[in-house]
Amino acid sequence: MVWAPRNLLGSPAGGLALALALGLGGCYSGASAGDDDGASVSDATGSASASASASASGGSSADSEGDDETTGGPPAIPFQPGPPTFPRLTESQYRNSVQDLLGGALPTPPLEPDTNPYLFFTIGAASTTVSEIGVQQYEEAADAITRAVFSDAGRREALVGCVPATADDACATAFIAGFGRRAMRRPLSADEQARWGAVAVALADGDPWEGLRMAVAGMLQSPHFLYRVELGEADPGDPTRRRYTGWEMASRLSYLLWNTTPDDQLLAAAEAGLLDTDEGLRAEAERLLEDPRARTTIQAFFAQFLDLGRLAGVERDPNSYPLYTPNLAEAMRAEVELLVDDLVHRQGGDIRQIFTTRRTFVNSDLAAIYGIEAEGATPITFVPVELPEDGPRAGLLTFGAFLTMNAHATETSPTLRGRYVRERVLCEMVPAPPGDVDTNIPEPDGEAHTLRERLEQHRADPACANCHAFIDPPGFLFEHFDSIGAFRELDNGYPIDASGDLDGAPLAGARDLAKALEDDPRVSRCMVTQLYRHATGRLDQAQEYPGLKAIDQEFAEGGYRFHDLLLALVTSEAFRTAATPEDL
Amino acid sequence: MVTRKHLGRRTFLRGAVGGATVALGVPLLDAMLPTRQAAAEGIAGDPIFGLFYWANGTPWHAGHGGEQAGPPDLWTPAEVGPGYTPSELLAPLAAHQPSVATGLTPHTEIPPEPPGQGDGHMRGFMVAMTGDRIRPEGFDHPSHTLTCLRPTLDQYIAKHEDFYGKTPTRFRSLEVGISPARFHDYGHWNAISYNGPDAQNPPTMDPAQLYAKLFNVPDDLVALGRRAQLIDAVHEDAKGLRLRLGAGDRQRLDDHLEHLSEIQRRLELTSGTCDIAPAMPGDSGDLLEKTSIMGELLAVALHCDLTRVFSLMLTSPATTHVFGNLGVPDGMHKTCHDGAWESVRKITTYQMQCLAKLLDHMAGLIDPMGNNLVDRACVFAVSEYGEGWKHSVAEMPTLLIGGCNGALSRGVHVREPGGNIAKVHVTILRALGIQCDTWGWNGGETSEHLTGILA
Repeated sequence: MVWAPRNLLGSPAGGLALALALGLGGCYSGASAGDDDGASVSDATGSASASASASASGGSSADSEGDDETTGGPPAIPFQPGPPTFPRLTESQYRNSVQDLLGGALPTPPLEPDTNPYLFFTIGAASTTVSEIGVQQYEEAADAITRAVFSDAGRREALVGCVPATADDACATAFIAGFGRRAMRRPLSADEQARWGAVAVALADGDPWEGLRMAVAGMLQSPHFLYRVELGEADPGDPTRRRYTGWEMASRLSYLLWNTTPDDQLLAAAEAGLLDTDEGLRAEAERLLEDPRARTTIQAFFAQFLDLGRLAGVERDPNSYPLYTPNLAEAMRAEVELLVDDLVHRQGGDIRQIFTTRRTFVNSDLAAIYGIEAEGATPITFVPVELPEDGPRAGLLTFGAFLTMNAHATETSPTLRGRYVRERVLCEMVPAPPGDVDTNIPEPDGEAHTLRERLEQHRADPACANCHAFIDPPGFLFEHFDSIGAFRELDNGYPIDASGDLDGAPLAGARDLAKALEDDPRVSRCMVTQLYRHATGRLDQAQEYPGLKAIDQEFAEGGYRFHDLLLALVTSEAFRTAATPEDL
Repeated sequence: MVTRKHLGRRTFLRGAVGGATVALGVPLLDAMLPTRQAAAEGIAGDPIFGLFYWANGTPWHAGHGGEQAGPPDLWTPAEVGPGYTPSELLAPLAAHQPSVATGLTPHTEIPPEPPGQGDGHMRGFMVAMTGDRIRPEGFDHPSHTLTCLRPTLDQYIAKHEDFYGKTPTRFRSLEVGISPARFHDYGHWNAISYNGPDAQNPPTMDPAQLYAKLFNVPDDLVALGRRAQLIDAVHEDAKGLRLRLGAGDRQRLDDHLEHLSEIQRRLELTSGTCDIAPAMPGDSGDLLEKTSIMGELLAVALHCDLTRVFSLMLTSPATTHVFGNLGVPDGMHKTCHDGAWESVRKITTYQMQCLAKLLDHMAGLIDPMGNNLVDRACVFAVSEYGEGWKHSVAEMPTLLIGGCNGALSRGVHVREPGGNIAKVHVTILRALGIQCDTWGWNGGETSEHLTGILA
């Protein structure tokens, strides 16, 4: 079984040479869907994502192992862990953590904006370097936030739990130890205790409260707080690799499931050694998943996985699209959130239904776009609806968010939509166009009236043909939906042909695609892969595929419930172990 | 040239943390007071480097042998040499006598894999900013990253000892941005200024935030000094951690700590604040108005010697900004691709008007010798490619504006078809008095400057 997302490039030497030899000219031309056991040239995988991940984690391009996993049968190599990452807290993680550490109303000074290369903010946090302004903002935030807390006699006593007579009395010392343990997500070392204790004394300015404030402000600027220091310890069962400590697992669980610093109970579990065991990890993960905070983080994952951030940049001319309201893009996003929430929490069902379901949620704006009755829907009220069985829509790929953010302001884009199917839903790679080709689509002329016809002219250029043959056929399936996702019969006044195919299997339209995706193993693998990237803050590497495959199996055995996937992930070998950095 | 002597308070406060003594009650010596005697004595200020970036190049045309046949060339002046007649697109800048180099193009090689690295948005942009190609790793991936292999020119200058010597200004550089539109939302298109791979300097987009940074410096020097001391402890706390990290992550942490030292230096400064703070600025969604607001703040900052290096990103590479105010319905990137030449003509003219607005503010601030900020400055204005439509990096539009204290000739048109764009970088560095034997990497190397422009 081939694990990885497919792409042609693979190792620049191997994969590409093979592709060229077969006349594919740089783009995967498609084997049949679900052909996961067959040997296929398209399966040269691994090193492209591995080298990309090496760059994502700031290292040099490393490992090319695992490239040979191109044919059927059991994986040739056993699981080996990938490198640890060193992510800075994202903006929301910083704010949530500070909130949990200090409590109450806090100022929200500006912080450096996050980035999400490869879709995920955790990858940005683990691969980018904070700017000078970002560091200045940390300094100013630490000062402003601690002033807010310590200038209030009630708040500071509640935080510290006692009244320090001097900056180095028992009260002050105990506070530094306790606060330090929570802020650094592990007990302070003796050196650290001495360091922050000395700060409290040296900078007290005659007032022990001020000394403690400065110690807290210092700890909030420490890399041990601002970065997640999860580097592992020697694995007692396998000296060639590391495993994350209980404290580190507490941090990993908490930032993955709650997007914040571990609570006292989780730290206590770490201290008691419970997070070194499968049962202990599972029990704590289940506890965290029951909390409303988990809902927020799961939504955040799906928003990144499905690339919903691009909806914010959508602009449409109200004259061309009278149904387009400023409220609409927000409603499209809300629809996906409600759908995810419903599938993950309320129904607890097969999460893959997101691409196939006819049950969704609409407000009055969306009901108008979809041309359906939705009793009780208003601009601000969403109601559940069952889309008509004989209608054109089923699944996310027929909903407003996908259709709109993958279209231009004045016309649709089968290319963008097809590319989304390839890259986002199936985790396949579509290379950028070569630098020397004309990427302009021909203007309408006597023969080519519709966008589809113009694109087919574009595909006549051999330099464009191979990639567009991979991208466009699934993209054509959505041609009945215009740039805001409304159904249409005509394009430019001419009848629409919305037939297409996926990897050679002919499909009559978007509804057929939903059906085809129902049992496509690439869908769940892609979800596992993306969740893993989100959870680890880097791209997956070839030597980890057996670990990801094991997670996917557990996911399948539980009926593809998303909670089961999370539990399988956090208890997996892949999430709990790390390679020793080679250049250490 | 003047050497300013900024005596840090750190001299007095050092050693409080981890040491035994706590020195408080800082004496305010004369040497620590703001030193603007240089200006008072009538000595010209030090040179200034500015980077102005606009997106999506210029309208395409039939000239220069390209296949993008059709409309006339609105960019390249008809005559070469000094005193050329400004072309239509350069006309808005005429008052500032821009020198213009035409025909230049990146000479860096294009790795065959992954494909797409010849694209103007990425290649033209990175070569214009760094003299080197983009980083190829990860380029082909969905939501691929766009990043550099080395610092951008503004940061190379801001950190070069030949430029600031031992006494940098309060800010080594300022980065500001005008349009919030981004071709991709994942963050690597947010900035034009980089310290190195994946190390952006995100531009300040909010005028109020820039204002606060420049002019709201607390005047309680003792409190600022204590914050500076605290940073010593943070440095201590990071020491052991460095050794546990792999090389890449250690570099990230080291860069963070270097920034922290810079923050500490700033907290210790007793000089380098400005006593002509302008009024609290508003904001605007209109690019020209917002450039004017930001341009005024930048000009005052330069005049007060709060910095001598800035970058202004008017629009991000491949901008999707919708110039509705010009009657253009689509984002600019698509407008170029759609071949809407008249729209691109209007947009490019407008972007040049924005540049002129920035220069107007700089020209309006005059030092006691009668020199204005443009006289002192070398403003490098550039876009990611020349001719829109097909993203061709032939004919990169490059401007060098200002006299750079006499080091640059103004109002000169130099034409070198196929010439290496890195010659512009060499010209800039030499004009600023920075030792530069060669510039450019991966096929883009040159040791030559533009002889017509470097005085």
